[in-house]
Order: sequence, then structure tokens, then C-alpha cells
Amino acid sequence: MDITDSAQGPFPLFYILIKMTIAYEQKDTILHVESLSIAYGDKVIISDISFTEKDTIRKDKVQGQTIAFVGRSGRGKSTLFKALTGLEQPTTGVVLIPDFSQSITNGNQPAKKVREGDVGFVNQKYTLFRHKTIYQALQFSLRNSSISASEKQEKIMKYLADWGLEQCKNQYPNELSGGQKQRTAILEQLLNSNYYMVLDEPFSGLDVGNILNVKESFRLVNESHELNTIIFSTHDIELAVELADSVYVVGYPKNNNGTLNRTGTILKHFDLKEMGLAWQGEFTDKHLDVAKEIKSIMLDS
Amino acid sequence: MIKKWLRPFEEIAGNQRYMITGIWIILVIGYWVISSLGTKHLFPTPVQVAGGLRSLYNEGLVVHIVSSLLLCFKAAFISIIISLLIVYLSPIPLLKPIALFFSKLRFLPLTGITFYLSILVSNARQMQVWVLVIFMSLYFITSLLAVLKDIPEEEIDHARSLKCSRWEVLWEVVIKGRLDYALDVLRQNLAIIWMMLVTVESILVAAGGLGVLIKNSDKFANHGRIVALQIVILLIGLLLDWILQTLRKGLFRYSTF
Ligand SMILES: Nc1ncnc2c1ncn2[C@@H]1O[C@H](COP(=O)(O)OP(=O)(O)OP(=O)(O)O)[C@@H](O)[C@H]1O
Ligand SMILES: [Mg+2]
Repeated sequence: MDITDSAQGPFPLFYILIKMTIAYEQKDTILHVESLSIAYGDKVIISDISFTEKDTIRKDKVQGQTIAFVGRSGRGKSTLFKALTGLEQPTTGVVLIPDFSQSITNGNQPAKKVREGDVGFVNQKYTLFRHKTIYQALQFSLRNSSISASEKQEKIMKYLADWGLEQCKNQYPNELSGGQKQRTAILEQLLNSNYYMVLDEPFSGLDVGNILNVKESFRLVNESHELNTIIFSTHDIELAVELADSVYVVGYPKNNNGTLNRTGTILKHFDLKEMGLAWQGEFTDKHLDVAKEIKSIMLDS
Repeated sequence: MIKKWLRPFEEIAGNQRYMITGIWIILVIGYWVISSLGTKHLFPTPVQVAGGLRSLYNEGLVVHIVSSLLLCFKAAFISIIISLLIVYLSPIPLLKPIALFFSKLRFLPLTGITFYLSILVSNARQMQVWVLVIFMSLYFITSLLAVLKDIPEEEIDHARSLKCSRWEVLWEVVIKGRLDYALDVLRQNLAIIWMMLVTVESILVAAGGLGVLIKNSDKFANHGRIVALQIVILLIGLLLDWILQTLRKGLFRYSTF
């Protein structure tokens, strides 16, 4: 690290070193994707997608996982997400998550193939139930929850207030703005999902305040359980680098002759934990360098 | 102002819209009066129509209207239940062919069906009901299938991602989420049924109804009565249409199509 070369006094140097290297440990696998491909008819949209994410453990702090997918339009991010959430059957390959209904054998949590409903999903179009008001939709999300009716109401009202949706809680989706719909869609999944939540472009169409809301909710989700895992896509590369502890760049790989192979795949993975850039709570020059590198990879894909 | 009235997509004020409608009504009525002034005319004069209406009223027009409406409601009720059942079960692959089969049957001619029905049903009133039920159902099923097909995949996926079982998806997205569409399908197809009603009613004169009145008037070639009756049938049809439309908008605030 170039900090040692800098002409700073001993105290700031010490301080920065502490700040940069946040100790963490990696335990069980929480998501394992192997040779995944999806084709619609003859058209292969994504292929050869393999990656593994592990449960991150930080000393003295509950730390979930935040994983970002970036890539140019039409490269297959949404398609990949449909497979990750079990909404689309992979053409080849598997998506595995731990099966918490089984007990640990040989020190390992048994795995299972992801099925619809295992992973919460907020799609790019913020789809909601057209016949439910915001309040009714959130109530529906809590339908399987074991807490009492009054606790449910309290919980919903708290979220509505925090997310600035109190005023329109009795409005139907067709009476909401894009940002309001989107926040409702995110809330629905927050109340409904267990450890995993996939969000397709959760920051598009939000104003500065709303973006803070969503960022804050990511933090809350991450700090409420170590297994909580947020997977999101975005076109805002700086935001991805700032929020995520793991960033994947999806794009078209180059053929040997330099032309693009028009099938999406993972071009590069940035493990920001390893790079010492995760959980900084601010956007530093290092983050900017990573963002620049990601952009140049994207432009070539 | 006139220039605005002629420009495509121009938004004009409410009272001007009424004015345009009023002008058209005056034109049509004016044309009607003028064209029936001569000795040889195609349309009966307004006076003849008014006379026809009076004589219809004396023959119990109101009773006949009620009889027709009852027949229509009874048939619509039975048929919407049958159609909804068939269509709501059509997302089940095994049962899908049933819905598709009935939808295709709408190309069968009416006469063929009445022939078979007359073997099955002896009571003529029952027969009227079932002819209507069969026809309505075929159209309902076709339109409802189109509604189902238009449900975006995202809506289904949204429900699935909220841990809905497939049956819950069917209930929430297809049945509850599209109730207003079902009501609108009823409204749209009611026009076809209302038209057919008159024909079907003339199968059985004893049961009464607007169809019988038309048939009787036909026999005497009384144009004033026929036009009067047609106006009555048209207005009742429009009223039903308006009621269903208002009902849909009133019951389902989110139904903005
Ligand atoms: N149902 C489908 N049938 C055929 N092709 C499809 C289908 N859905 C998506 N595609 C194609 O798959 C490719 C990837 O689409 P996808 O929506 O996954 O892209 P994306 O990376 O999410 O893009 P964006 O950033 O614009 O949302 C596109 O070229 C699209 O045309
Ligand atoms: Mg997308």
C-alpha cells in the first residue's frame, strides 16, 4: 500500500492503517453459482457464469453481504437475477443456497437449489399488486409472519413513516409516482424475505433523499443478521463500489479476433473486502480508482 | 373556435363538447323530420313513432321490458359463473384445452345449437335461457382468456417472489387482481347478448319480452312501432352499459381503463 510511502506523520499513518484494514473472516458458502447459462429458444443470453459468495464474519459486528452487479444495458443482469431468484429455470448449471431446514452435517450446512420464493426480488419495473394499496400490500407481505396483528400494524406504520410513504398508504399503484412504487416494492420484500434479497436497479428514478433511504435500509438489513445478503444491479458505478463488498462486472467477452461474443458473462470480480475498501462508509480516492477500472472494462464489453 | 374543433387531438372545454353533441343530435332529428315530410318516405315520422310508443305502452311495454331484463340477467348470471370457472382454471395445463375448445365453438351457428337444445330441454323458457347461456359463455370465455393472456409475466413473478404458492398467484393476480376486467368483459359482451335476446325471445311468443313485441309489430308492418321499439331497446342497452361501467369505476378505484 502506498500509504507507507507518503510523507505523513506517524499518528495519521497509524490511524489510516487501522481504518483501511477491517479484519474479517469468511465462513460458510451462502451462494454458489456454477456454469449457469440461460437461453431463450436458440438465443443464449448469458453463459459460463460461476461464482461463490461466503458468509462474512466481522469481529464485534454483525455484517451481512452486499453484492453488486454492473454492466452495460442488455448484457443480461436482469436475466441472471431471474435465475438467482428461482423465477427462471437455468438452461444449464445450478444456483445453490444453504438449506437451513436441514441440520448441519460434517460441519457443513446442506445446500439446495434455489426455488421461487426463497429469494426476494424487486424487479426493474417495480411491479406491485394492482389491486392492493400500499398498506394492503405490506400487510400481504407479512401474512405468514407470526407476530400479532397490532404488531404488524405498528411495524408497517413505522416503515411507512421512515420511507416517506405515510401520506399515500391508501393509494393504489396507479396513483403512485415511480419512486413511491419502487420504495413500496422494496419494503414488500424487506418484510417478506428471509436472508436474501435481489434488487434490479433499486436506485434508478429515486431522488437524493430516496437514495439515502435505500442506502440506509441496505445498512439496516446488513446489520440485522450476518446471513442477510443483498444483491443489486445499478448503472451508478460509484454507488456500487461504495455500497458493495463484492462487485461483479457483467458484459460481453472478446473473441480471439477482437470482436464481441454477444453472450453475457462475468468479466471481472472485485472483492472489495480483500482490497480493504469495503464498509468504509465513505467514498475515497481508492474507490474512485476501482470505479474507473470498472468503467473501462464495461466500455470494452 | 371552429378551427379548433377540426384540429386532430385538440383538447376542448367540456361545455364545447356538449355543444358539439347537441349540434349532432339536432342535425339527426332535423334530418329525420325533413326526410319524413314527403308522402313517400323510408322512416316513419316522429308523430308515428310517438303513436307507436303509446300503443306499445298500452300493450304492456313495461312488463315486456322486465321480462326481457329478467331473461338477460338470469342467462348472464349462469353464464358468467360457468365462464369464470372454466377460464380461472385454464392456467392449469391439464384443463387449458377445455377453455380453448369452448372459445373456438363460438363459430358454431345458432341454429345448430337450438336444434340440439330442443332435444335436451322441453320447456321453451328454459330453452331461451340456455341458448343465451351457451352463446354468452362462448364470448365470455374468449374475452376472459384474452384478459388472462395480457397479464404481464412480471406480475406473476412479483407474486411468486413474495412466497405465493401457485394457487395463491392464481387467486391474487388472476382472480382478485382482474375482477374489474371480468366486469368489463361482461359489459362488452352484454351488447351482443342484448341483441341476440330479441331473436331468442321470438322463439317462444308466450313467454313475452321485447322480442315478441318486435315480432308482432313486424307482422303488421307497423313502422312507427318498430322504430319506437328499437329506440327503447337501444336506450335500455345503453343504460345497462352505463350501469356496469359506473359500477366498475365505483367498485375498483384502480380500474382506470
Ligand atoms: N424473454 C426474452 N426472450 C428473448 N430475449 C430476451 C428475453 N428477455 C431478455 N432478452 C434479451 O436478453 C438480453 C439481456 O436482457 P436483460 O434484461 O437481462 O439485460 P440487462 O443487463 O438487465 O439490461 P438493462 O441494464 O438495460 O436492464 C437482451 O438482449 C434482451 O433482448
Ligand atoms: Mg435489467
